[in-house]
Amino acid sequence: MGKSSYRKGRFSHRWGWLFSLALALALALIAAGAAWGETLKVGRPNQSLYPEPDFASTPLARVPLGAEVRVVSRRGDWCQVTYAGSTGWMHRQAFPAAQAPSQFGALPGVLFGAPVKETKSDEVAMAGKGFTPEVEASYRQKHPEANYAQVDQVESFRVDEAQLRAFLQEGGLKP
Amino acid sequence: MREGLLLLLAAALLAAGGCAGADVMSVATLAAKGVPKAAQAARPISDSEEYYLGRAVAARVLGRYPLSQDPQLTLYVNEVGLAVARKSSRPETFRGYHFAVLDTPEPNAFACPGGIIFITRGLMAMCDNEDQLAAALAHEVAHVANKDGANSISKARWTEVVTAMGAEAARQYGGAPGSLVSLFEGSIDDVFKTIVVNGYSRGAEEAADREALRTLSRAGYDPQALPQLLSKMQAKEQAGAGGIYRTHPPTGDRLAKAKTEAGAAPPPKEEAVRSQRFKSLKI
Repeated sequence: MGKSSYRKGRFSHRWGWLFSLALALALALIAAGAAWGETLKVGRPNQSLYPEPDFASTPLARVPLGAEVRVVSRRGDWCQVTYAGSTGWMHRQAFPAAQAPSQFGALPGVLFGAPVKETKSDEVAMAGKGFTPEVEASYRQKHPEANYAQVDQVESFRVDEAQLRAFLQEGGLKP
Repeated sequence: MREGLLLLLAAALLAAGGCAGADVMSVATLAAKGVPKAAQAARPISDSEEYYLGRAVAARVLGRYPLSQDPQLTLYVNEVGLAVARKSSRPETFRGYHFAVLDTPEPNAFACPGGIIFITRGLMAMCDNEDQLAAALAHEVAHVANKDGANSISKARWTEVVTAMGAEAARQYGGAPGSLVSLFEGSIDDVFKTIVVNGYSRGAEEAADREALRTLSRAGYDPQALPQLLSKMQAKEQAGAGGIYRTHPPTGDRLAKAKTEAGAAPPPKEEAVRSQRFKSLKI
């Protein structure tokens, strides 16, 4: 009777272990599938598709704000994507909304601890860096003479892509 | 079941490797292990840190010089600036390049880390044409691309930043910046002093010239415009003059190198159109 229970126990333990292994592999495949087959939305203006994961390479195309690209693979901070029939590389900064771990196939709250206090995508992307929006906020409070209002004005000035193309064409410059 | 849970975690960790995982994992590692000495010296500034540093430096520059509110001039400088920036060795930055004009007759230009670039009306007035303006902006873009501003933060201070970051890592999610604020102030001082008061090293200036020449060619501008502008600056330089003469000294050596490296390229297209639109500006 005792021997039988022992065998049953070992049998259960082994199956439990195998079940966990199968579940883990399935989870990995699902997460990987989500990462490599997913569609990401471009969340910043003036983004480009590069032939190599390198800002120094000549862009293949401009990718407008709000465009959806399909992820083919990843290398470090770069995602290989397809967009409008072309395959190229885009830096992760183009996808601020997708920089939260949960959107890259991880398990929120399991691997990365409790949710981040701030929910703004910038804050999530900045987490763990030395100079953060919070550091800037403290600095601004301490230095009212720093003219951040005009910095915001400078940063908010945008050149329309079509207008820039016309400017380059008129001046015989390279797009 | 414990093995099962470990396997689940391992699998999820494998799956998490990608564009976003690295930063958050590095925080966890920092919090758990502290920062090894070797990593302190080796850690480069991240794009986002460079961005916030650049904003603070720009805020200080704008505390000293008035910002031009001329929309036509601002648009034009942004168009020329973007024409060269997108052909530079770093066509994209964390939040992109932004160009602005400072309302002062002092000829100068400043590249804040991360991509905010200022040019004064004084330097614009010194340019004969659009290609020379593009040369000045391409040189400043090269400083951004080479991270010369961020590199001017003293090594000792940067080591302190990393140490403070290690100490703060466990509190990152809580949001208290603590000693990082004073280190941020110090870093801003380092960069501001370099770009506005003392200037970059001779090596950094020459590297920016070389990069500017390549950028001008790639963009379709005449690379000869850079030595032409340097030559004008050298002719106007006076002993003890401040501004750009101190921060970007147009030495004979620098001019000679720029002339040689600019080569004898065929005249670029539509130069007359570019000159005309430059002349139509009210600087």
